[in-house]
Amino acid sequence: MRRRHLQESHAAHPNVTPLIDIVMCLIIFFMLITKIGVNTGSDSSIEIPASILGNELKDLGNALTLNIREGPRDQPMVTALVESGQSQPQELKLLEPSTGRRPLLEVLRRLRDGDPAKNLPANPDFKIVIRADKEMGYRFLEPVLIACMEAKVKNVNFNTVKGSQ
Amino acid sequence: MKISGAKQVHYDSGPNMTPLVDVVMVILIFLMLAGTFGGTEWYLTSNLPYSPKGGGAAQLPPGFVPDQPLEIKVDSPVPDRFIARVEGYTADDINKLSAVLIKMRDKLAAAGSPPDKVQVIISPARNVKYKFITDVYTAANQAQFQKVGFAPAR
Repeated sequence: MRRRHLQESHAAHPNVTPLIDIVMCLIIFFMLITKIGVNTGSDSSIEIPASILGNELKDLGNALTLNIREGPRDQPMVTALVESGQSQPQELKLLEPSTGRRPLLEVLRRLRDGDPAKNLPANPDFKIVIRADKEMGYRFLEPVLIACMEAKVKNVNFNTVKGSQ
Repeated sequence: MKISGAKQVHYDSGPNMTPLVDVVMVILIFLMLAGTFGGTEWYLTSNLPYSPKGGGAAQLPPGFVPDQPLEIKVDSPVPDRFIARVEGYTADDINKLSAVLIKMRDKLAAAGSPPDKVQVIISPARNVKYKFITDVYTAANQAQFQKVGFAPAR
């Protein structure tokens, strides 16, 4: 009996269908879990503290990240990405001595209570994420917490690194 | 015996998958390299307490019963060390403080104040480093206190 052989063209190429199946599954997996181009305004140069406990934030889109580090004259330097069109966080001063304005408080109030002029509705669930330098003293954090309290922002989250102390 | 017709099967029928595999592989490698998983950071969440006076003044709802306060005073006598004091107990690291707070939690629960009815107030000195404040916060969370707030700097 003559043995039947596969045709030359089929024997030379491997079957790539399982490969495509697996690769497609991997692509869908990565597309679902990765975050590409999401800019929360976090300053990665700030060294945040570690903690052995913590929780994940589900809705980072409803949160404003405040980067806090030691500033001049015993005042904190706070930066945040306030406008969505910005690429870099802008400084939000606690107090502008020349005008007496309080830009940080104004921004927090606007995001919390809304702004009818800009058609921005009130947002009672608005959150703050504090990303502060781990070596910074409490005197730099305190005025920011007071501003949050004055703006009636009740949900304040301290960003930490997972791990041991 | 010769089986006729076997040679009539066309294995080459169908589209050429090679470009598809190339493109899909490029997309996969891009996603693997460009994606951030955000798995290295998390958050300590604080719901700031009611403040009957000061900047955060708020009207207390009718029938509102204030929570049992538990103040943790934090000082930093030397730059890389902290000392926390809670009602006569002293702790200078997170594990000791956690043990003290667990003891306090049990004592308060026995007196009729479960952890969800206790307002922990962290009261740090001006020079206490932020990393020590998060340590104290973590110790309060380890002792299952859910309401943790802050007092003005001393």
